[in-house]
Amino acid sequence: MSTGAKQYKAIGDDVWKRTDKVNAELFTLTYGALVVQLIKDYEDYAEVNKQLDKMGYNIGTRLIEDFLARTGLGRCATFAETAEVISKVAFRTFLNISPAVSFPPPTQNPTSNLPPPTEFILTFDENPLAEFAELPRDAKEGGLWFSNVLGGVIRGALEMIQLQVETEFLSDVLRGDESTELLVRLVRVLDEEQPENDE
Amino acid sequence: MTIYSLYIYDRHCDCVYYQDWHRTSPIRPPPFTNFRPGVHRIPSPPSITTKESIFNTKRLSALEDVERVGNRELKGLPFDEESKLVYGVILSLRNMVKKLSGRDEAFTSYRTAQYKLHLYETLTGYRFVLLSDPNVDSLRFVLKQIYTGPFLDYVVRNPLVIMDSREEGIDNDLFRSAVDRHMRNLSMFS
Repeated sequence: MSTGAKQYKAIGDDVWKRTDKVNAELFTLTYGALVVQLIKDYEDYAEVNKQLDKMGYNIGTRLIEDFLARTGLGRCATFAETAEVISKVAFRTFLNISPAVSFPPPTQNPTSNLPPPTEFILTFDENPLAEFAELPRDAKEGGLWFSNVLGGVIRGALEMIQLQVETEFLSDVLRGDESTELLVRLVRVLDEEQPENDE
Repeated sequence: MTIYSLYIYDRHCDCVYYQDWHRTSPIRPPPFTNFRPGVHRIPSPPSITTKESIFNTKRLSALEDVERVGNRELKGLPFDEESKLVYGVILSLRNMVKKLSGRDEAFTSYRTAQYKLHLYETLTGYRFVLLSDPNVDSLRFVLKQIYTGPFLDYVVRNPLVIMDSREEGIDNDLFRSAVDRHMRNLSMFS
């Protein structure tokens, strides 16, 4: 583990100790109930995925303020560093997990002028959202991503710090895959907004 | 030593919050066309709030009268122009500071004979600006405390406050009183 990663792990541990906790089972069951309700309301798994992502986005746009205020971290120099911070500090602070970060081989994308890496994969060994969940066959076939809210949270949070990303679940143990993997891809770095009718 | 006023700008460069304490020069309310709800509590001239009949043909001239009276009574800039100027100053200074040092360097404060301006920026693009007496030390820590304290508790975690709305500010009673209490407890206040 590099020194940077170690340092982030220490920050994450420290912030976790100072965080107010809620009962994990209550949290897990509440999330499960939320997903079930969405499925009942929309009766379409693709739409449920979309709604979960949207909810996550709205959570993320506020959660980032909480995160920055608590940790006092500065801007990351590279997207790889962002990945480390998300895994070691953010997930640790809010969910007490620390998903493994890996970088897929860069795809041939000559149009992108962003310095690599522009994407990373978070692999969840444990997932507090899905602790007691089991997907019925219908949901598996319908393509439900049970923890899709996580992707939305990351997307919302990063957008507030001028990083526009796409997130996408690649696999989920609930669907019978070997691991749960979430891909985060940097689309572009947003420019700071300028005031209107600047005279 | 004292504190004059506090401005909060969001990432769309809009002023979303304003509060003042020992202001020496008065401020005028903004004209209706530029009024944004939830930013400040500057009292508007009383006659403006009373609804006028649309059949009243003298409506326009009455408004002009109010404007003229307002101008005579209160000197100084209207709020919308003032907040734009404050933003313009920090934006230009920040860009100049960056150009001079060639790095991503933060500009923190400047001082004139009359006042001192303190700036605290968050990574999410919120800018907290405080105007104070010129003789105080850096008050950036105060702005940071407001961000991690009242701002987080009563704005970010308040579902009734719409953040990022572009239409309205973030003003609410809890936030305003928490900021007020925080300021009054400072040793340089009074």
